[in-house]
Amino acid sequence: MRKAGSVDNKEGSMSRKVRARLALLLGASLVVVAGLVSSGSALGGAGQSCGTVTLNEYGWPGSTANTYVAKYVLEKRLGCTVKITKITEVPSYQAMADGKVDAVLEDWGYPDQFKQYVTKQKTVVYVGSNGLVGHIGWFIPKYLLKQYPQFKTWKGLKGKESVFKTPESGSQGTFLGGDPSFQQKDKELIEALGLDFKHVTAGGYSAEVARVTQLIKQRKPVIFYWWTPEYLNAYLNLVEVKLPPRFKGCNDVGGGGGNLKQFRCAYASLPLKKLFSKEFAQSGSPAVKVLRKFKWPNNEAQNLVGKWITVDKLKPEKAAERWVKANPAVVNAWLK
Amino acid sequence: MATVASEAVVPAPVVVHRPWWRGKIVQVAGIVALMYVAYRLWPLEYTWPPRLQWNALTGHLDTFQTWLIDERNAEDPSVVFGLFDAFAAFVDNLVAWFDRLLLWLTWVGTTAAGVLLALRFGGWRAAAWAAAAFATFALTGLWPESMQTLALMLAAVGLSLLVGIPLGIYAGLSDRFLKAITPVLDAMQIVPAFAYLIPVVVLFSVGPGAAVVSTMIYAIPPAVRITALGIRGVPGNTVEAANSMGATRGQALSKVQLPLSRRALLLGVNQTIMFALSMVVIAGLIGGGGLGDVVTSGLTTNDALAVLGGVAIVVMAMALDRSTEAVADRTDPTRRHLTEARRKRLRLATVATFAGIGLTVALAKALGAAAIYPGTKTAQDWLLTRIDAVLDYIKDPATIVFSITNSVATFIVVHLVQPLLQFLVEAPWFTTLAGVTAIALVVSGARPAVTTFAMFTAIGVLGMWEPAMETFSQVLVATGLTVLIGVALGVWAAESNAVSKVLRPINDVLQTLPQLVYIIPVVYLTSISYVAGIAASVLYAFPAVVRLVERGVRDVAPDSVEAASAFGATRRQVLGKVKIPLASDAVMLGVNQGIIMVLGVVVIAGLVGSAGLGYLVAQGLQRGQFGLGLVASLAILAMGIALDRVTQAGRRSRKEGIE
Repeated sequence: MRKAGSVDNKEGSMSRKVRARLALLLGASLVVVAGLVSSGSALGGAGQSCGTVTLNEYGWPGSTANTYVAKYVLEKRLGCTVKITKITEVPSYQAMADGKVDAVLEDWGYPDQFKQYVTKQKTVVYVGSNGLVGHIGWFIPKYLLKQYPQFKTWKGLKGKESVFKTPESGSQGTFLGGDPSFQQKDKELIEALGLDFKHVTAGGYSAEVARVTQLIKQRKPVIFYWWTPEYLNAYLNLVEVKLPPRFKGCNDVGGGGGNLKQFRCAYASLPLKKLFSKEFAQSGSPAVKVLRKFKWPNNEAQNLVGKWITVDKLKPEKAAERWVKANPAVVNAWLK
Repeated sequence: MATVASEAVVPAPVVVHRPWWRGKIVQVAGIVALMYVAYRLWPLEYTWPPRLQWNALTGHLDTFQTWLIDERNAEDPSVVFGLFDAFAAFVDNLVAWFDRLLLWLTWVGTTAAGVLLALRFGGWRAAAWAAAAFATFALTGLWPESMQTLALMLAAVGLSLLVGIPLGIYAGLSDRFLKAITPVLDAMQIVPAFAYLIPVVVLFSVGPGAAVVSTMIYAIPPAVRITALGIRGVPGNTVEAANSMGATRGQALSKVQLPLSRRALLLGVNQTIMFALSMVVIAGLIGGGGLGDVVTSGLTTNDALAVLGGVAIVVMAMALDRSTEAVADRTDPTRRHLTEARRKRLRLATVATFAGIGLTVALAKALGAAAIYPGTKTAQDWLLTRIDAVLDYIKDPATIVFSITNSVATFIVVHLVQPLLQFLVEAPWFTTLAGVTAIALVVSGARPAVTTFAMFTAIGVLGMWEPAMETFSQVLVATGLTVLIGVALGVWAAESNAVSKVLRPINDVLQTLPQLVYIIPVVYLTSISYVAGIAASVLYAFPAVVRLVERGVRDVAPDSVEAASAFGATRRQVLGKVKIPLASDAVMLGVNQGIIMVLGVVVIAGLVGSAGLGYLVAQGLQRGQFGLGLVASLAILAMGIALDRVTQAGRRSRKEGIE
């Protein structure tokens, strides 16, 4: 229902304006699309012989140490460009399968993911150990042994659990459990050993570090889930509590049920793994050869670099440079 | 589950005064007493029976995930995956393009562009905020990371609005669609991001694309909700007038409803930005990069750096918040009556703005500003030493601060959390189930009671009863503290402008600073695990309560206050007898929001030592136990829906009674 000529006129001009605006919008979006397309193609070409290598860094200082030492060697000795991504553990398997991450230099073992991606699909390739031996266990600060020398083994804990009492554990002792991303079976182990501990989680890695260092600063009794290699071991002065020996069929993966007896043993010591994406492993890049040989001489070497970064506040690049320069023999062996 | 801003459109109702609560409190106390008796009689005797559990679900979900990953990585995957890949590649390129644009402009050019645009469309204050933000990015030495995050946010917010606004408009027009979409929006906001990161990665791989998708899942709901509310807030007679003039439905929408709800739309943009920014760190876990990575790796290797990254995120959020708010205020049609001359002047100003940006960029490029940065002359090292000094003090257990916080925390755990936890975990499951249902019935009626019963039964069937009760006890304590602090500060802020001014930036910081940044220091301040999680929840949730209560009390009709004063009521009497009772609706909304927000940080709480559902969700992501993580998330969702409906229904029933 049109009303008057003037309104009509105005409407006409309005719609012209609208059309002009639409044209502008269309033009702008074309420019954007063109920009996207051209930028996409620009990304494709890489000039150098080594090209870009993408390493993934996980959320613990040891992983930072690996990544930056490898980055330093690849960049300074091979002329590669190294990109670092920080994708969390389980998604990083898919990232490797997609070729978005080339290599992970410290994998602690995810049985299900390993089976699916490495064994079955072969989209991720296992290329050997990084020279570190990962070991999980129950740890206590050394000062506790003065008063309770029996805490060296788990048998000595029996009947003395209340030493570790805290407000959240009631009459029981508190056992501080670890980061949800780490493999653990402590609840099962506590039950299998018949110990009167309450399993209390400290939370994620940073929270557990905060909690444990705080308690040790106050020289309080504490027993907790811990591991090596770990930079904090370089100055926290910890002792591992001896758990029952391992046997065949001994199970380290808790939380899924199963016979309690199977858990009644210490955690395994396992060589930590290096993983490549299939694409990278087959790429023929000179970086592949070097990373295949990349190997720490021992756990302490990585702990040291980790300590430089976290405690001494050295930039990761600087810490890597310092270690590489101090260990030419080790590094040259990777480059042979 | 309305967002803070969305309620702006709802007029403050007049509450009929009756002593309803008296009876209710007595009844609730009676129910709790009965539950307590049952707990004393049969502690730990009736845990949720395995016969009533659907244990196979976790396995089925895991099998599904394994299947999906195998399909995805097969030699020649299905076309469907190609579509996901294409979308991810599109977003990857979009983000990369924004990022390169921001870096290409050089830091001088980007700053000039941000400040001048804020000045033109937001005014002086907005411009000052933009300037401060860019200065922070440069001074902290986090310029490239900030630009990466800004690029990611531009893409995530843009796409969220592209999806959210049309859906919101439709939800504003159709009641049926709104009803259908509300539970979906609830789920998108309550289900923790940790639960869907793995599926997102399987479908979209890692990188900016996946980061944007996971951000969108969280940022779309406020866009939909606020848009719908804005459309619904347009007075019915205006639309009728348009219709009677012969406007078609489309014309009424585009010429009347949309222009009149413009302010609400812009507030929706504002909230979408804030929600998106709260995902920066989590999106970093799957390749979002930028400031998220600074925070994550800072947390494990250098705390001070994590704080610095957090500060950059907060400043970005506040600058975007203040400038979009300023833009929203300016476009308010009631404030805008433009003459032809003024319109011309504004157009000139726009041209001048863009010319200014172009000129600055050209000058900066000619003078080589790109080369000056990144230089070594940032204040990063200086700032890091200062932050470290503060952190060292916090980490020292010999200080007086520690002795205070530790004893307060111990008190809360020993006298509140621990007994409640024991009560909920050890009481017979059927008395707890009957008890919460009865309480829901007393507090808010039959329908919420049915919902509560169904939801708590679902939790049990999912096999999550015990961890859920653990989480429930902490949620109750955290909500109690949140409401206590929130209401007290909210009322105070409503009464005093000075307090209000001081509180606002504090609230903003608490809502946008990534929680882990301030929670790890809290871990150092106590030696008990549960506390840090509760502190995280309270610190994150109380600002929303403060805002709602403050607005509620301030919005109380001035004539009621005047009337009371005329009768000689003192200020305290006016507050206690008039303002707070009249604002009880806002207080209830505050309780509701508080609970939802407490539930929103359950996973973060799990990462700093609260066991329960949050820990299981984190474990699901980080150990690749997708089924476990999803089932635990569903339990959180069930708890959230029950608590939301119970706290919302009381409010709604009263409101409906009035209308």
